[in-house]
Amino acid sequence: MKREGQRILVAMSGGVDSSVTAALLVEAGYEVVGATMKTFCYEETPGASRSCCGLEGIGDAKRVAEELGIPHYVFDVEPEFTREVIDDFVSEYARGRTPNPCVRCNSYTKFRDLLRRGRALGCDGIATGHYVRILRDPDGGPPALLRGIDREKDQAYFLWGLPPEILPLLHFPLGGLTKSEVRERARGLGLATAEKPESQDICFVPMGNYREFLEQSLPKRHPSLESGPIVDRRGRVLGQHDGYAGFTIGQRRGLGGGFSERMFVLEIRPERREVVVGPHQELFSSGLVVEKVNWLADEPLDPNEPIHVQIRHGSEPVEAAALPTDTRSGSLEIRFVEPQRAVTPGQSAAVFRGERLLGGGPIDSAIVPEPASQSAHSAGLPS
Amino acid sequence: MSSVYLDHAAATPLRPEVGEVVTRVSAEAYGNPSSVHGPGRTARALLEEARERVARALDVSPDEVRFVRGGTESINLAILGRFALARAEGRGDPLFVRSAVEHSAVREALDELASLGARVETLPLQSDGTIDLEEVDLVLDASPELVSVQWVNQETGIVLPVPEIADRCHAAGVVLHVDAVQAVGRVKVDPDRTPLNLMSLSAHKLGGPRAMGVLVVRAGTELRPILFGGGQEGGIRPGTEDVAGAVGTALALELALQEREPEALRLSSLRDRLQVGLSGTIEGMRVHGASAPRAPHILSIGVPGLPRDLLPGALDLEGIAISAGSACRSGSTTASPVLRALFGDAAEEIAPVRFSLGRTTTSGDIDAALNTVPRVVERMQALGVGA
Repeated sequence: MKREGQRILVAMSGGVDSSVTAALLVEAGYEVVGATMKTFCYEETPGASRSCCGLEGIGDAKRVAEELGIPHYVFDVEPEFTREVIDDFVSEYARGRTPNPCVRCNSYTKFRDLLRRGRALGCDGIATGHYVRILRDPDGGPPALLRGIDREKDQAYFLWGLPPEILPLLHFPLGGLTKSEVRERARGLGLATAEKPESQDICFVPMGNYREFLEQSLPKRHPSLESGPIVDRRGRVLGQHDGYAGFTIGQRRGLGGGFSERMFVLEIRPERREVVVGPHQELFSSGLVVEKVNWLADEPLDPNEPIHVQIRHGSEPVEAAALPTDTRSGSLEIRFVEPQRAVTPGQSAAVFRGERLLGGGPIDSAIVPEPASQSAHSAGLPS
Repeated sequence: MSSVYLDHAAATPLRPEVGEVVTRVSAEAYGNPSSVHGPGRTARALLEEARERVARALDVSPDEVRFVRGGTESINLAILGRFALARAEGRGDPLFVRSAVEHSAVREALDELASLGARVETLPLQSDGTIDLEEVDLVLDASPELVSVQWVNQETGIVLPVPEIADRCHAAGVVLHVDAVQAVGRVKVDPDRTPLNLMSLSAHKLGGPRAMGVLVVRAGTELRPILFGGGQEGGIRPGTEDVAGAVGTALALELALQEREPEALRLSSLRDRLQVGLSGTIEGMRVHGASAPRAPHILSIGVPGLPRDLLPGALDLEGIAISAGSACRSGSTTASPVLRALFGDAAEEIAPVRFSLGRTTTSGDIDAALNTVPRVVERMQALGVGA
């Protein structure tokens, strides 16, 4: 049953998904090597100990590796993770955007670092517990990356940034399973991590408190943390906020009261420290622009073909079309079939053809609908 | 995974005869050595016999042998016990001195003391990895409470000039603690002719049982306990004694010392063969401590242009068990304090590998290492996975 010459490096966070990933590959006859990436210094952030990246996670991963009879190593990627993920997270918020560090981690740190180390260890492939599928092309073309079967868990959104040349080396054994099937497998195998809760928060932000994290990471009196005006689309000052870094598009909380209708954050203008607000109908965009696209598919996008675009984790991809574009050179403009709520710069746009992830990139700007559609909202002023 | 074991400085395989005696004594000596009844007396007799055997092997007196839980506890007891004594005698900020290359048990125990108000000074290293004795003379002028130096460095095998340091401490009336964990059974350790006061050793580095250690406390050296709850081990280490562990420690120590000279010759010639073979095949390799006196069982090398954390895993997958520096630092990618003390910032640019040989190491193990290590290093260098 041994697959000759097939040594696979599995990223093991200590969670149930990556534990089952390793177990399935062992069952399939691969020579499996487990590794946990040490991404940041958890010892100094006691509040973060429950997250997957904590020291506890390393201990759990080691325990599972022991149960499976596979070797397990710890890779210290703290310098890479700090440079590529945490620094970017902070500077994006400082620019008034809402970054997605999980995308950064998967695009710039996790797979590249795993691959680099996997090669050094003589591994032929890399596996993770992402809920996505790899479909290999029998004719030798690049493999297709497909959404996970379990739509609640599907993680294709996070993977648009993979370097396309590494796709042939990747294994995602969980893509065809549901989360409950994965837990069932973990229980059946008696894995120590079978009942572990899901990790939710961003791993390096203790207790999900972004504001506090940014205050610690940015220089004192950084403009993004200083108070500034809350304005409407016509530039009228409606109030004051205590730092635009605390806001994200579509947010209501933290705006203060006194409006005649519910107001939402529409835009952040860091150069003037303005948070632009407006009523719900103004939150909708007809499209978006991605400046730096990463393309996984071999063929360019046909502007006439219907595509689907996912603009945030956990939401379904929506129908759209792309304007003519050269995906190899960088930018991509997308028009939605139906206007979409809260298109957020800094978050990602992932482009799909059916189940297949074609590519994507960070959203640079939302395309606001024609002025005609945004006429009657003077009702949004404070009374 | 690994079948060639070259990590004897981290732990040694239990000697079969020691394993047998530990099992037998565990069954026989079930009584508590402090009890007045027959089973208690049986246990007491075995414990004291073990103490006498350890004393004879080390050429000290039985009253000077204290059984403790492993090398780390032995070191902590020496250091914290001296601090407790200083405090009890009204010395609020006593001075403690260590070398720049001490094991983390010494280093971190002293860090703890510094946080409690002690002053800590570090003896710098010379470029060859040994200690400048004039620096020792200088620091002794300040009348430290304790000087703690190791006999053999755990990462490089470098032998520090303990007899010379001991003479100076003795002349100055300063108490000297020697961490001899890597030295006993490997180099000549002679407390009777080396005027040290406290000496730590660990049984599992000698083919003995885990979690057994000895602290030698020479007559006239005062020490306070750091644990409380019974008068065992001369009041220095309370708690019911591990009689079987003590007997196993005695046997392992006797055997290691009996075999020491021929074994040192055998291991140093295996070590030299490994060193020469690797030097000839690994581009840019350097040998740590090459110009200093070294213990026979350790070969520490530095390989440029490799990520620091990958060689142990890559070699493990090819069947070779080694570590990158000391086992306690696995998974860490910054250079160890030892290598930093020796090489400064340059230590960050090389991947360290420590081969450590022992009783079960064969010529075939060295062949396997010579076969595998250059191949794995070359593979990693070819990938350009630079540090």
